[in-house]
Amino acid sequence: MPRVVVTGLGLVIANGIGVTNAWDSLINGKDGTAELKSFDTSQYKVHRACEVKDFKLDTVFENETTANTIHKYTYTAAREALEDSGLSDIAGSDRERFGVAVGTLAGELPPFEYLLRKAPDDKANGFDMGVALTYPPSSITTLLSEDFGFEGPNMVSLNACSSGNHAIAWALDLLYEGKVDVMLVGGGELIPQTEFTHFHNLKALAPEKCQPFDKDRKGLVIGEGAGIMMIETLDFASKRDANIYAELKGYGMSCDGHHMTAPHPEGAGAIMAMTKALSMARVSYEDVDYINAHGTGTPLNDIMETLSIKSVFKERANEIPVSSIKSMIGHTMGAASAIESVVSCLSIKNSAIPPTIHYKTPDPQCDLDYVPNEGREMKVNCVLNNSFAFGGNNVTNIFSKF
Amino acid sequence: MNKKAVVTGIGVVSPLGIGHQDFWKNLASGNSGIAPMECLDLSKYECKNGAEVKGLNPEEFLGRKGMRYLNKGTKFLGSSVKMALDDANLEIDDELSNQTGILIGSSLGNFSQTTDYFHDIARENPSGLSPMQSYDVALNSSINYASVVFKIKNFARTISSGFTSSTDAIGNALKLIQNGLTKVVIAGGIEQISLDLYMIFYMRKMLARANGTGSEISMPFDKRRNGFIMSEGSYVFVMEDHDYALSRGARIYGEVSGYGSVFAGGRNSDIGKRVEKAGNAMKLCIDDAGLSTGDIDLINANGNSGKLSDLIEAKAIKELFGEESENIPVHTVKSALGESYGASGAMQTASALLSINNGLVPPTINYEEKDPECNLNVVNERLEKEVNTVLINSFDLSGNNSCLIVKKHE
Repeated sequence: MPRVVVTGLGLVIANGIGVTNAWDSLINGKDGTAELKSFDTSQYKVHRACEVKDFKLDTVFENETTANTIHKYTYTAAREALEDSGLSDIAGSDRERFGVAVGTLAGELPPFEYLLRKAPDDKANGFDMGVALTYPPSSITTLLSEDFGFEGPNMVSLNACSSGNHAIAWALDLLYEGKVDVMLVGGGELIPQTEFTHFHNLKALAPEKCQPFDKDRKGLVIGEGAGIMMIETLDFASKRDANIYAELKGYGMSCDGHHMTAPHPEGAGAIMAMTKALSMARVSYEDVDYINAHGTGTPLNDIMETLSIKSVFKERANEIPVSSIKSMIGHTMGAASAIESVVSCLSIKNSAIPPTIHYKTPDPQCDLDYVPNEGREMKVNCVLNNSFAFGGNNVTNIFSKF
Repeated sequence: MNKKAVVTGIGVVSPLGIGHQDFWKNLASGNSGIAPMECLDLSKYECKNGAEVKGLNPEEFLGRKGMRYLNKGTKFLGSSVKMALDDANLEIDDELSNQTGILIGSSLGNFSQTTDYFHDIARENPSGLSPMQSYDVALNSSINYASVVFKIKNFARTISSGFTSSTDAIGNALKLIQNGLTKVVIAGGIEQISLDLYMIFYMRKMLARANGTGSEISMPFDKRRNGFIMSEGSYVFVMEDHDYALSRGARIYGEVSGYGSVFAGGRNSDIGKRVEKAGNAMKLCIDDAGLSTGDIDLINANGNSGKLSDLIEAKAIKELFGEESENIPVHTVKSALGESYGASGAMQTASALLSINNGLVPPTINYEEKDPECNLNVVNERLEKEVNTVLINSFDLSGNNSCLIVKKHE
């Protein structure tokens, strides 16, 4: 089975656009939370979110409607990752061995919402032109494949908050199988009012800020953005002398099969995902030196995740730093695990880990080292990245230093 | 050595019947599931016909609990999963649940319920809406529901890749079984008719008779073809590791043995490139199964009555199969069932498996006027014939071309 390495990264998140800016903000604990601007929140109890700011639309988009999709962030992050990897020009390569896999929770909704806000009666009239312009989720991979000249398999993973890691796992299997050389993978999201309302009415949103693992945590802050990686077989990367950020070692999937919205209280599914990831990666629990947590800041998730980390890492659970960048960039839903995968690679490359900000009061039920408030310089050889979605849909992946 | 993946259970919710027995009886008899649509008010629009699911009583399969919170697509999927599990005589107990995954393809599964919810958000006080109103609205919520109800704990994955979604889901399930990552996968596709989707296809003039002329029926490969008919349904398979299926003495419908997928370069690609890429997808798939074109004894075509898409497929088959293409039977179930977008690949897979088991090729109905440009051996009358190896084509004009090989279990 070939080894698979990460050779290009791209980020668009609330506290920075582009990998350099975003990493600088993350490592310095810069909060991306602000007043939500893309729609009117006056009828809600929550008015804050982690929106991407000062974004310049890529010229690939024809107009405001076509741009009003996850495509705008995903495309920008993908373009950055592609250029970073040195694969912008693939003339002469077998294009059918280049594929695309992107995750989203609701990438199809923002353009629809945008149109319906402009013409609220259109729904009753069958939308006429309105919905005809909206995109199925697969249009994002179509756009990327078309624009980058990739002609291999492509898919959109629709798996709520673990969508990005599902896409990465799917791509890794294709690379292992030897069917492709290069995969563009990741996730993108643009805050849909529909999802904001869904979380709001489930009382899952924090009013001010996201405080993962803190005793006073009040829920998640909704966010948006995109994280994209280029992954390829080591053989292909070596032949073209590519810069390597990290090795993608493996993944573990599981499904709680427990409840549509609540996680399994003892973290049965989370434990299974982490255990399987370690097993596929052929990595011992003793080798992991940083956990990039799912850490949403909801009361249930953070307890469940802490319990499951203790179960998997046993006596080492207290030694391993665990941090949640959702404290700074919010919960970017389908993009979250992809963004966290990019950040995991940056931690390895830059020998530093981002903090969990807004951490003040320890919770006796969450008693691990959460890297409170300040980033930490340390050698990082192996990162475990968790994602746990609604419906108990869990995917963990593992990166290590190459 | 790769493991083999076999199908041991089939669950069908279709416009031609509930359960694979009725589905097959109607399909093999040349009955059509296409009629004026009843679930939508189309009085303002030209295109009226569709292939709707009728007569499903989901409570029969799922009980009454929580039923009022579920949308149409989730009822389709849940019912078909239950049917497939019963058909496979498979009970997912505690031990098996960690070795059972669910992998479903859907292009825009619950889009219409999601947009209904947003419609309420836009018109009412959104913070006053009940959380139960959004219980079953995300595109993947049907799959989450099935995982909870049937105790599926190995993984749950929804793939959306347009019209090839369920082909890609079944292909992915094959790979996960081959790699030993799971013993059982519930794999298939789900799609529903809604006004939102109707409008997407209607405005893009993809539906039959959208140009205002001809009959509003599905006429794949026929010279008169003028667009596709929308269809809905859920088609689900219990796919198992071959050794596991044998160990429990399961009845085996067939083996899924190959998958291939190639992207044709997007909406603006020319016909030549599309033909080449569709051919490459078929070739990749046949190679993946360790076969050659001479082994294929039936092509279950994508043929959806689209002017361009049928032409591309016919040319691609001719180029890949050469002279053999004059003999190899080609049929398409979409003549009777319409185009079920993300669920079509699974719909075709159900037909392919049943062809193998019944030694019968269902007719491509409405095939009357041969198009010289689509010069294939189209089966337009029920054909009794031993079927061993079927190539399933699944193409999307946006660029995806995915194929599967289903063969007789030896």
